Amino acid sequence: MPERLSVWGPCLILLGLTVLPALAHAQGNYEIQVYGSDTVPPKTLMVELHSNFTFEGQNEVIDGVYPTTHQLHETLELTQGINSWSEVGFYVFTNEQNGYGVQWVGDHIRPRVRAPDSWGWPVGASLSMEIGYQRAVYSPDTWTWEIRPIIDKAVGRWYFAVNLALERTLHGPDVNQGLAFAPSAKISYDFTRVVSGGLEYYADYGPLDGFVAVHNQQQQIFAVTDLNVSPLWEINIGVGIGATASTDHLIFKCILGRRFDWGRHSPVD
Amino acid sequence: MISRRNLLKVSGAAAISASLRALAQDVGKPDYALDIAAVTLDLSPRHKLRTIAYNGQVPGPLLRLKEGQPVTIEVTNHTDSPEVVHWHGLFLPPVVDGSLEEGTPPIAPNATVRLTFIPRPAGFRWYHTHTMAMGDLTRAQYGGQHGFLMIEPRENPGRYDQEFFLALHDWGGRLLANEDGAMNPSYDLATINGRMMGAGEPLRVKQGQRVLLHVLNSSPTEVHWIALAGHNLRVVALDGNPVPSSRVLPMLRLAPAERVCAVVEMNNPGVWTLGEVRKHVQASGMGIVVEYSDQAGRPQWQQPSDLVWNYEQFAGTSPGDESTESPIIVPLVIESKFRGHGAMESWTINGRSYPATGVAPLKHGRRYRLQFINRSNDDHPLHLHRHSFELRDLGAPLNGPQNAARKGIRGIIKDVVLVDSHTQTEVDFTADNPGATLFHCHQQNHMDLGFMMLLNYA
Repeated sequence: MPERLSVWGPCLILLGLTVLPALAHAQGNYEIQVYGSDTVPPKTLMVELHSNFTFEGQNEVIDGVYPTTHQLHETLELTQGINSWSEVGFYVFTNEQNGYGVQWVGDHIRPRVRAPDSWGWPVGASLSMEIGYQRAVYSPDTWTWEIRPIIDKAVGRWYFAVNLALERTLHGPDVNQGLAFAPSAKISYDFTRVVSGGLEYYADYGPLDGFVAVHNQQQQIFAVTDLNVSPLWEINIGVGIGATASTDHLIFKCILGRRFDWGRHSPVD
Repeated sequence: MISRRNLLKVSGAAAISASLRALAQDVGKPDYALDIAAVTLDLSPRHKLRTIAYNGQVPGPLLRLKEGQPVTIEVTNHTDSPEVVHWHGLFLPPVVDGSLEEGTPPIAPNATVRLTFIPRPAGFRWYHTHTMAMGDLTRAQYGGQHGFLMIEPRENPGRYDQEFFLALHDWGGRLLANEDGAMNPSYDLATINGRMMGAGEPLRVKQGQRVLLHVLNSSPTEVHWIALAGHNLRVVALDGNPVPSSRVLPMLRLAPAERVCAVVEMNNPGVWTLGEVRKHVQASGMGIVVEYSDQAGRPQWQQPSDLVWNYEQFAGTSPGDESTESPIIVPLVIESKFRGHGAMESWTINGRSYPATGVAPLKHGRRYRLQFINRSNDDHPLHLHRHSFELRDLGAPLNGPQNAARKGIRGIIKDVVLVDSHTQTEVDFTADNPGATLFHCHQQNHMDLGFMMLLNYA
């Protein structure tokens, strides 16, 4: 019993901290992932499919943006390792929805660098930049840019990650808004070598120089599991709730990733 | 079963009694003195680090002893932690062997002890700290506490013109995630004799010489592959013991704590690199220049394309032990215990971690066969204290075709054997040196986390 408390105590604290700020706004929900600091190794391609289904979200067309309820988002993410401390990711966002069919939503590109192991930092740290386009029927802000500092740490069976993302609209209604603060965080526990479970938190507080009212913020929390079945595979499954008016209220997400090592490795390398 | 508490009481009492006897006997000048103290080590002009060493140098001083001739070594511990020096590969009583688990008394901070023992068997041995590092990747074998120990036989040791002692070591360890889902030490820097490639004095040789290399892998955790560009190496001894079949090879493989003695015919004048075969390890510093007289220039390296080594090529047809009795089988099942993706694994032998591994009772004079059944994802350099063993069956896959096993090996005598992941290896030894005997994995992080077991017989 004491161990059970020690496992879930920090989770409950995080849950409390995330729910308390209250709620609202509309969220992309194409790639729902808290980034770890690691980058894809060189000569390796990571192929990920992000599948997100919104059971309960926005039901109306607002400002020309399609309703999110019962949208199935399929996002293909290709990440190529450049060297031992950098990578480039490329996204293809799609949406499937009754009455709208399968539609292309947009593309993003995301270079990322990390603190090399040789620096000996006590935590993992990396910095990603993401720029891309999405169609106005899915997001009023069509061109966006994001800078995302990432910090993570594994301690025994616990894993912690924080992404302090700052977003900037380059084209769209929020172009004059400046930088918006959209943090996310993750805490998980290794129940076994294969099965980890925990919580992921996603938020958008609005502009840095003045957060929007709570009911207009995005606040989501996901219960997730990571299945570490093989070094080649990445599996993350979760169910999320959004408690604010502008957050989709119930979402299922799944990330299925596979590493492809296309380099020729010699035993003497 | 003997509990850990009782074991410590028994072994501690024996240790104190024996050490008092040793102190009473040794009041004259010691044959050697070892000072354990912190030192700043210049791995290269650009790489300095603080470590603990013997007599302010890495490796420690070469101790040349005569087989069977008693020696007294004075050890002073100038550090703030208890220390113990293990005389690796020697047939010593537990009280001086250098293992707290066996009952060797620790050397308290700022204390001096005198150790008197009769060195045997002859051959290339070594000495090193036998303390625990746990999570500190600068302490114990991660640091600089290792040195060469050469026990000269009573007869002429062999025909060579010049000999060199070389210690391979890794430095700057830090924990990184590896593919099996746990943390493992990884290293920034690697050296031969405490110097990175080009930072130390070259090995100076002359054309036509027969050079005898005594190579020690003192790394806390890493297996190393060594080649001398432009030359082959004739392996004449493993772990200090002559091999039945000497082989000329392009490279050597040494697991942690293993030693290889190899003769090189210096017949290719030039300036060459002796270094790690794997590019990334040589790039981190593991290399030394071999320079013929009257030759100059940049050292040349010839990159091998593969890693080639096996034990059985050194086997003979005669047994390494005259015993004709059937050995008593001792199965030792090795498994890891997951402790989280952010931690190193712990280790079990037959389902238990030290000290819960208990003590395996043996009978004096009997022949035993240790079955190392490695069910883990790691290879393990397994070491038996105070004894040598004979390799018998090597590399039988636990879940594969048994014809891959090399069975019936004879005549290779060692004190460390590398057991590959998911294979079974068997070694024979005779219980002819009574007392507590430690068996453990020589990877520092593995022995720190439970991979040890005591054998004992009166």
